[in-house]
Amino acid sequence: MALTRRRLLGSALAAAAGGAGIYELVDQLAGTPARTAAARAHRRPEQHLLDLGTVVDEGVDVVVPPLHSELVTATIADAGDLRAAQHDLERTLARLDAEYPAAAAGLGVTVAWGLPYFEQRVAAAWAAHAPQDRRAQKPALLPPRRFPSDPHDTILERNEVAVLLRSDARDHVDAARQAIFADLKLFRTTSIRRGFAGGGFAGRRSLPKKMAVAAGVPGADLIPETSELFLGFTSTQKAGLGPGKIANHETLGLVDLRGGYFAHGTHMHLSHIAEDLEAWYLNFDFDERVLTAFSPSLRAPRPDAQTIPQGPRDVSDAARVRADFRRSGRFGHSGSIQPTSRLQSDVVGPDGTHYPKGTAIPQRADFNTLDNPFAWTADPDRDGFSSEPAAGVHFVVFNPSSDDFERNRLAMDGVLPDGMTLAVAPQSRAQGFNSVLTTTHRQNFLVPPRAHRSFPLAELS
Amino acid sequence: MRATIVAVLAALALTAAATAPAARHAPPTCPKAWAKGWTALANRVGAPVYCPTWMPNPLDARIGGQWQDIYSISKDRSYLVSFLYHGEGASGDVHVNFRGYPGRTKIPRCKTVVLAGANKTIRGTTPCFADPHGTTKANGIKATVYTVNQDADQWHVLLAWRHKGSLYTVSEHVIRPYTFKQVVRNLDVLLRSLVLVQPKR
Repeated sequence: MALTRRRLLGSALAAAAGGAGIYELVDQLAGTPARTAAARAHRRPEQHLLDLGTVVDEGVDVVVPPLHSELVTATIADAGDLRAAQHDLERTLARLDAEYPAAAAGLGVTVAWGLPYFEQRVAAAWAAHAPQDRRAQKPALLPPRRFPSDPHDTILERNEVAVLLRSDARDHVDAARQAIFADLKLFRTTSIRRGFAGGGFAGRRSLPKKMAVAAGVPGADLIPETSELFLGFTSTQKAGLGPGKIANHETLGLVDLRGGYFAHGTHMHLSHIAEDLEAWYLNFDFDERVLTAFSPSLRAPRPDAQTIPQGPRDVSDAARVRADFRRSGRFGHSGSIQPTSRLQSDVVGPDGTHYPKGTAIPQRADFNTLDNPFAWTADPDRDGFSSEPAAGVHFVVFNPSSDDFERNRLAMDGVLPDGMTLAVAPQSRAQGFNSVLTTTHRQNFLVPPRAHRSFPLAELS
Repeated sequence: MRATIVAVLAALALTAAATAPAARHAPPTCPKAWAKGWTALANRVGAPVYCPTWMPNPLDARIGGQWQDIYSISKDRSYLVSFLYHGEGASGDVHVNFRGYPGRTKIPRCKTVVLAGANKTIRGTTPCFADPHGTTKANGIKATVYTVNQDADQWHVLLAWRHKGSLYTVSEHVIRPYTFKQVVRNLDVLLRSLVLVQPKR
């Protein structure tokens, strides 16, 4: 039976009572991706790594993202006994670990902590153990900032904790949220952010397309049928995502871990970005969408291609970005970021892993959303909450440090790593995606290693 | 108040869209009140032009009437006739463009200007109508649906077709009160409603 907007809204109302809202449709609209059985026993020291399979799409290896992603932010409800809280949360997390494999078919739980937690709850221990970015000569975890193309009113958040839940199974995510945020009385939830990705490989209609059409968001009818994300291109190609432990604090030597408490940890940036799909699809033809999303010197391998190769040999360096800009007056989104997001020379990690020049550093975990801007917020007025679905992305990315993320984000605005700025107006269509994106919220977090994921440093305070 | 009126008009337009042209039995002709202007246009360009017999509310297609916005004929005889209702505040617009390129069937190219930094301007061209999204057939016309269009057709969905060695288009802006889907539906009705007006000299 065709899913109409009326049925969608009916379902949404019913589903909202159950907690998942319109996202319960993900299970109705998408089959579970075929994945190899996940190993139950092996849990890596990193919290942020999740076993995801790959498929070959348009000749390119593509990571299959989990269908459901949810991010819950909170403050600490009762700061009375942090060590008891640490014990209780760890026990809950360990139970979830035992119950679900650390894979998309099971459950990925990543507990990240914001600067307000470290500065207010464990200040002395934080002063002694806070990782330092050697290259930036700043702390590895910085307060969030606005970037040149951000609106003046982008909200810089001050959550103490964020928990990222990822799974192909909605009920796994629901069970984890219930266990961490409802059964335990440790947190005061500030927002719930939900979304989805993928589901469109092998020529099937993708989940973002189905969800956008079902929700009736403007521009939904123009999204390509099999597009992995709303904007029409495959975002999770393997070569475009940082491999293995590359985003760990310690891997590239960017971060001084001091006593080593946060070894195997990483940095997480979280933002919500509204996407104007109608502007994207009605004002940029396919060729312009390719050069906007990637690089002005790139041509799609075929008309309407969605997976554009972005391997180490396809990437731009700063000189190419500058040359493209001189010639065309534009710089593409990926192309402008690559001089900072890809290794500029070979690196051997502390565990002996060889990362060749051109390898991606950030590990993205972003997902499309119909939240406006969140599925739920404790402060609807501040957050500009609306129950009307809107196209967007919850951008989640792991980098070794805040500064490393900032370098990439500044490059997206034409500020190159050598300090040169490509002069275009902040919302110009010459400037990558920025003319159709609006960032509403930002915050940085530190993701401790699994061993210290629960109320980090509390035992030292 | 104005927004309410537009919403009501939009609803009426959709009702009309469902019934108007299909219900007619006699072959449609350019409405009397509009025919003078379209005939004058055909005469000026020396080629047949397409007159609509239906327009999305609140517009009519009377050239020289209250909704006419642009009336432009170039030296090469190509024309643009535009009708616009501009709502107050954020109530939206209703904007329909008719174009013809007598003696030409090639999709024209539009000028682009990119400002590269403070002191450099890069000029180029791009197809005026791009990103074809299939075809639609009605009234003996097989039109291609284009979703990325330039100049006065920017942010419009546009139908383009060829007739006896000439290219013709009709487009409508995707903006409140009409959604993309409703605009596509309006254009289908417009296509069904078109009648050829021949030049008289």
